[in-house]
Amino acid sequence: MKKILMVDDDIDFAGAVKILLESKDYEVVLAHDGKEGLEKARSVNPDLVILDVMMPEMNGYDVCVVLKADPKLCRIPVILLTAVDQVMFKTSYTKQMGLMTEADDYIAKPVESAELVKRVEDLIRSST
Amino acid sequence: MAPSLNILVVENDIAILSKVTSLLEKRGHNVIPVESREEAFASIQKKSDIIDLALISLELPKLGAWPLIKTLRKPKYEILVFVMSADCGEESIEAMDAGAYDCIRKTFTTKRFWTKIDRAIERISLTRELKKLKHKRKSIHDPGTENMRAIFDSIADGILVTDLDNNLMFCNSKAADMFDISRDEILGKPVQQLVKYKRLQKLLVSSHEAGSSAVHMGHQQVCLMEADEKRLRVHINPVINRDGTHVGTVALTHDVMAITGMDSLKDDFIFMVSHQLKAPLSAMLMQLSVVLDGLAGDLTEKQKSLLSKAKDKTKGMIALVSDLLDFQRLEEDRVLLQITPLNLTEILERTIDLMDIMAEDKHITIKTNVVDNLPYIIGDKNGIEAVFVNLFSNAIKYTPDGGQVTIDMYKSADDVRIKVVDTGIGIPRTEIKRIFEKFYRIKSESTTHIAGSGLGLSIVKRVVDLHNGSIYVDSEKDKGTTFIVTLPMAQ
Repeated sequence: MKKILMVDDDIDFAGAVKILLESKDYEVVLAHDGKEGLEKARSVNPDLVILDVMMPEMNGYDVCVVLKADPKLCRIPVILLTAVDQVMFKTSYTKQMGLMTEADDYIAKPVESAELVKRVEDLIRSST
Repeated sequence: MAPSLNILVVENDIAILSKVTSLLEKRGHNVIPVESREEAFASIQKKSDIIDLALISLELPKLGAWPLIKTLRKPKYEILVFVMSADCGEESIEAMDAGAYDCIRKTFTTKRFWTKIDRAIERISLTRELKKLKHKRKSIHDPGTENMRAIFDSIADGILVTDLDNNLMFCNSKAADMFDISRDEILGKPVQQLVKYKRLQKLLVSSHEAGSSAVHMGHQQVCLMEADEKRLRVHINPVINRDGTHVGTVALTHDVMAITGMDSLKDDFIFMVSHQLKAPLSAMLMQLSVVLDGLAGDLTEKQKSLLSKAKDKTKGMIALVSDLLDFQRLEEDRVLLQITPLNLTEILERTIDLMDIMAEDKHITIKTNVVDNLPYIIGDKNGIEAVFVNLFSNAIKYTPDGGQVTIDMYKSADDVRIKVVDTGIGIPRTEIKRIFEKFYRIKSESTTHIAGSGLGLSIVKRVVDLHNGSIYVDSEKDKGTTFIVTLPMAQ
């Protein structure tokens, strides 16, 4: 069973995503801030990380940069998740940040369940 | 207490003259005692405006009293006249016919004297009061030039008027203050010489050149102007006289400094609230999706239908919050625009891809006619994308099922035009000029079920303005709406 690490301080959102992904036969591990996310990435060794951008302790961009700089972890695909950007600005801004942090994909919150599942499946398929 | 009056006493009998004078002076009146008709005339010439009452002896030599009475009763003076005579006989009655008020016997007792004088004084006070009231009424009901000027000078906004040769013809005191104009020297001088604000000059001058069609429509320009720590909202209108001739331009300048402060406070508040709303709404949407997908247990049809309505509402709220945040950024951050050469054809295609699902849902066909090799424009990609997204999604939203949206993109003289035509519900004529206002939504039976924030078109307008483009709208109720956006070509 593939493991997904979901890092988001919004427990409600993360909880719903956990149920959603578990229904698609993934094992979902939750972390509630950037620091915990980084620790769990090291201990759990997930197949995919979903990273919220706006978080206490350490934000998602920073976590992503650290992950991608770590030779043991850099192969794990990362999806950045953000509510920072709006319709007109989200594309370029998130793309830029994604490129800079070497994230593998980015999704703007709010996102539909089907869309999220599709992105996760695509990324896991392409990385194996 | 009775008012102190200026009283002219004309009497050639010195004894009587001094007696009357001292009686009147004892009561605080100001007496002008004269002994002859000639002296009397001289006093009237000099002090006609202050004389309230005249006492004239009928026994002046050579019937001297008559011309005096006549003069004093002329509309120019209207001074109340008493005649004094030995017997108040036939002659005094004639005097009263000529305009005298009453007659006093020279053999008067003090009491009788005051009875008569007091009555006269009361009459004078009443006449004065009446005059004042009449004046007041007149001043409001008859706004002559003088009053008009006073009215204009009492207005809290600045008013400037120019003629067709761009000479300043009028400026009220507020405008003189605002623009530091000396009002003594304004008349007929070129506005460029007097108003040092280039932007206002340009507005006043260019409005003449707007052409007659704009003028006939009562074309109004509104803009914000910032200068010298002032923030002004300026309305420019043509001045049209009674026969419909365009004779000049009027500018109304309103200081919006205070309002702006409140506005930015309100904007901060909206930004804060929308930001705080976005995260919980995202969570709600995900939770509802998960439950609706049956991941939290099987649902009955009733539960499904209720929850999917809740999900739609949540999406609506998210769209509103997104629009608010977008708009906010556009308002506060002009520099946010990143200017690069843009291939509009590419942007158009991508936007239509985004819209396809929405259109398919409603069985609406989207037809596009794009001219090949369209020139690039210089602009902000995200902004232009927002323009396209809003215009196309509006066209789809406000077109009933099975309708059609046609998008043309072509080159004109020195701009590129995007024309979006739908077969939708249309915009009532009266509402057209308000559709670009922030938060404005047309309320009618056909729009109540369509979700929207009322911000889409104000975002469009703002982006188009920032690109020095323009937007036109034409619409017919129940037939459809056409939007045309022009964007200047890259030089």
